[in-house]
Amino acid sequence: MAVTRRALFERVLQGIGVGVVGGGLDRALADSQVETTGQASGPLTVRVSRPFDAETPVREFTSWLTSNERFFVRSHFGPPSAEAIQPETWRLTVKGLVKDELTLSLPELKKFEPVTITAVLQCSGNGRAHHRPKVPGVQWERGAAGNAQWTGVRLRDVLQRAGVKPQGLHVQLQGADRPALPTVPLFTRSIPIAKALHPDTLLAYEMNGRPLPLLHGAPLRVITPGWMAESCMKWLTEITLRADETPGYYMQQAYRIPETSIQPGSGLPGSVMVPVEQMPVKSLIAAPAEGDTLRIGPVTIQGVAWAGESPITKVEVSCDDGKTWAPARLVGEEQPYAWRHWQYLWNARQVGPTAILCRATDAQGTQQPEKSPWNPGGFLWNGWDRLSVTVAA
Amino acid sequence: MRGVTEGVRRERGRWSPLVAGLVLLLGIAAVTAAQEDDKHTIEPAQARRAVTLIHARCAVCHTTDLIVQQRLPPDRWQVTVEKMMHWGADLSKDEADALLQFVTARYHPGATDHLPSIEEELAMTAPAGGPSPASDGPLVGVSARGAEIFARNCQACHGEGAMGGAGPKLARNKILKNEGAFWETVLHGRGPMPAWGSVLSHQEIADIHAWLASR
Repeated sequence: MAVTRRALFERVLQGIGVGVVGGGLDRALADSQVETTGQASGPLTVRVSRPFDAETPVREFTSWLTSNERFFVRSHFGPPSAEAIQPETWRLTVKGLVKDELTLSLPELKKFEPVTITAVLQCSGNGRAHHRPKVPGVQWERGAAGNAQWTGVRLRDVLQRAGVKPQGLHVQLQGADRPALPTVPLFTRSIPIAKALHPDTLLAYEMNGRPLPLLHGAPLRVITPGWMAESCMKWLTEITLRADETPGYYMQQAYRIPETSIQPGSGLPGSVMVPVEQMPVKSLIAAPAEGDTLRIGPVTIQGVAWAGESPITKVEVSCDDGKTWAPARLVGEEQPYAWRHWQYLWNARQVGPTAILCRATDAQGTQQPEKSPWNPGGFLWNGWDRLSVTVAA
Repeated sequence: MRGVTEGVRRERGRWSPLVAGLVLLLGIAAVTAAQEDDKHTIEPAQARRAVTLIHARCAVCHTTDLIVQQRLPPDRWQVTVEKMMHWGADLSKDEADALLQFVTARYHPGATDHLPSIEEELAMTAPAGGPSPASDGPLVGVSARGAEIFARNCQACHGEGAMGGAGPKLARNKILKNEGAFWETVLHGRGPMPAWGSVLSHQEIADIHAWLASR
């Protein structure tokens, strides 16, 4: 079947509306503002059409904030049905080990003090395609990450209203999205109470100053700044205080890494697997692009670096495939949890092919490794970023 | 391969070490190539069956692009297929074996980056001269058969009794009155729904329509 790129793209667009009934599809399309004409591939690189999983081309990372329509999209089952999240009937419930159960509408929730935080959101599987041996899962390359301004209320404030009982040590998060088959486990996660009570952990209803788009969790999602995105539950409807970590596949089997490094290619170790939480130190080159031909002379190399809850203190660049390194200049905004832009002015003098690399160091002195430790889920890739370019006279 | 090595070792007394080494290398190369061939070739009929199964049974929950981008060794594929069956993928033991054999042969760690999509595989392996709706004349659907074909192929998304699920409710749906739109949708897909033209025969589609119309 000769599917034209245009036709394929239209299918992808339609795929966004999975499980969305009535006006939901139109809303999803309007929200995503994916171009329906012009470039066949639109602003995102699609990895899976349904559920819609797509990454941001890294050239977009030259912007401080990643726009909503260019922000990477990942979910396990696609957006929930329109009925499950329509504004009139949508409610957030807080239950379990609390003194008073709460049921809040969106206007009621917005009465808590609003807070805005700029934070990187990154899929744990970002960079999975770089792990060797290869591991199963969506083969994300570099762009399952973005930096956005999140506005919402503190999860802590809501939990304090409900009154957490002393035994409530884990906060279970459930969204309204559902699998196609009832035999597939729900995507349910929990975060430890300390992270839930951290003043920067939010229930966000705005993204970059606009109502949270459907593909990003409308009307409400969790933001755990500095932590990987599987804790940032989208389409949030239920918060349950528990004594223990949430049981079930997505907490006990998926999104876990070996506590100590294991032999690449070995199966799930009998040793301890711990939940993926903090983002490790990482940097990416946003420009030039892979495969570019550069004119001999000065070239600005630029990119981003971030390290979860820790500030970035250094980014180094190598323009000779790792033989020598020089420090880049940290530029622009500096905010906790956000990424830091960096620049390096390279005077390209030698004609021919070469590789440009970058590596970052955080305030704890942790440096980005050449390659990340292998793990069976392919999580937390943070190896040096590398571009092949050619210098021409 | 062990046989080749031992054979060469036994002969070594009569051959110079250089010749023996050369024979050994060639032998290993030949055996390895044959094994790789074995492992990675799959008969067109087998491929056809496997891609049809993937299209019908895996695409209920996710598009097949997710499968085509994997490059996994046999043990990882096996674990993955078992996990999907545990989660409700509707595959008999025999079907699972056929599917596993195909994905292991096609999407192995040494395979090239860009491989045809499952839809392209379906087109490439399509049997020549299949029935065309134009030449068949009107088909008469049999409602009793349609119930079972629906349960096996459509129910996962359209719900028990066609009352709706991830996909729309089809019982008393107005598309049943518009046969053109019904056939177009089933044969070619629409939005998130995959095309079924390569999975269901026209008679089976007519049977499903008859059963739905009787609901």
